[in-house]
Amino acid sequence: MIPKMEIRGVSKTFHARGGTVAALEPCDLAVAAGEFVTVVGPSGCGKSTLMMIAAGLEAPSTGEILVDGKPAGPAGPRRTVVFQRFALFPSETVAENIAFGLRVAKVARAEIDQRVAEQLALMGLDRFRDAYPHELSGGMQQRVAIARALVVRPDILLMDEPFGALDAQTRTVLQEEVSRLQRELHYTVLFITHSVEEAVYLSDRVVVMSKGPGRIKREIAVPRDAEWRGFEIEESGTHASFMQTKREIWELIRAEIVRQ
Amino acid sequence: MSDGRTSSLPGGPSGRIALGATTLAALLLAWLVASTSGMVSPRVLPSPLDVALRFASLLADPFSGATLAGHLAASLQRWAIGLACAILLGVPLGVLLAWLPPLRPAIAPVFELLRYIPPFAWVPIAVLWFGASTTTQAVIVFIAAFPACIINTQLAVSGIDPILARAARTLGAGSATTLARVVLPVAAPTIFTGLRIAFSNGWMALVGAELVVGKQGLGFLISQGQINDSAATILVGMTTIGVLGTLIDIVLQRAQRLALPWRTDSVRPAE
Repeated sequence: MIPKMEIRGVSKTFHARGGTVAALEPCDLAVAAGEFVTVVGPSGCGKSTLMMIAAGLEAPSTGEILVDGKPAGPAGPRRTVVFQRFALFPSETVAENIAFGLRVAKVARAEIDQRVAEQLALMGLDRFRDAYPHELSGGMQQRVAIARALVVRPDILLMDEPFGALDAQTRTVLQEEVSRLQRELHYTVLFITHSVEEAVYLSDRVVVMSKGPGRIKREIAVPRDAEWRGFEIEESGTHASFMQTKREIWELIRAEIVRQ
Repeated sequence: MSDGRTSSLPGGPSGRIALGATTLAALLLAWLVASTSGMVSPRVLPSPLDVALRFASLLADPFSGATLAGHLAASLQRWAIGLACAILLGVPLGVLLAWLPPLRPAIAPVFELLRYIPPFAWVPIAVLWFGASTTTQAVIVFIAAFPACIINTQLAVSGIDPILARAARTLGAGSATTLARVVLPVAAPTIFTGLRIAFSNGWMALVGAELVVGKQGLGFLISQGQINDSAATILVGMTTIGVLGTLIDIVLQRAQRLALPWRTDSVRPAE
């Protein structure tokens, strides 16, 4: 079966002070349709670089990105990105931000209104329809960013440490929300985080990266029918199988941090 | 702070207006006392009443070729032409400079050199080229206003978080759409601040240029007042220039607030 998105032999070398620095050794990673894959790793392992290349926002030194088996080309609405710093357009209201991609694609007015309304309802943003981003809390801003990325119905949603800038409580609520969306609507997601707990809770598969230079170290499957699925994150964390997976991943990362 | 508020604006906006009005009234009173008590000769400092009468007569009867309204219209026309050129050229160039960074080192040296030539230093050469015409005055306004337009636009555009352009790209926007829907709206407040500086720089340079050259305009009116030994005429001219400049800035501030409803007060540039 052809994966929804495939990262094939992607590497990245930077030129610095006369020499070259390998940020990323050739990486291979495939994400199947409806699969939620998370990349974890210590800071500096190149996971964000990998994400930017996957999004088409940065060019790889070698390798290519395929969507449905074909070269993905430049950045565009088939691969939308949710950034850590939200990246909402400050001069546009919540509804206008969400409608951005649809308006660029020249979707008919009536359909835009309808799809924006759906997203507002889905993300619990109805009350904030006409608010400007600066009037919203961080959590609400990131909901808008997620809605803006989902409304264009991308082939794959790329999330670059999306909850990294949020406080702990807000983060928990959004993690549960994203987990619920995924279970109900089966988005294809590539997710980057440095939180092991978040990775286990959300993913079907966790990819652990090592650093210096960055490469994929191990892939760990998290069964979709695990006993803790569907619980809140606090509750899930108390299950033995959850703790077991978490510990396994954490050991891999700890080895990387100690190795420096 | 007698009302015990800890706000930095005691009494709020209305309190501020009252304070300002009080100071203005006190100045006016001091002027009245000084000019009517015989302390200062009316030839040196006419009373506010004399100035008001002179104002009325200048409105009704031509002086040095035009009524006060005529001089004012002449000034406003030159100012508007010079400003329009400065904005229409400066804002797009500023965007270009920010959008295409390689252009900057090419243009910067020229700019640095021209920056230290004050607008008035251009008057003689402008007169030589264009005569004592509206064009000459407009050129001086342009020279005074242009740097504020181009510099602030460039700062505004290059100061935008690149992540916004990236977000727009992942949503399918090309360069033109990103510029129109993301970059320019976000840069607008700083560009607008630059325009306000350009408006006031242009206004000041114009009055200065009119003092030196020309046959009409508020600056010319003042210089004619001096030649005719009429302090009242000079004061009418000066007051008109000051009041008009203030009014224009107030209108611009209002326009800025209306045009940019998404701006927070806390991040509005210092004024």
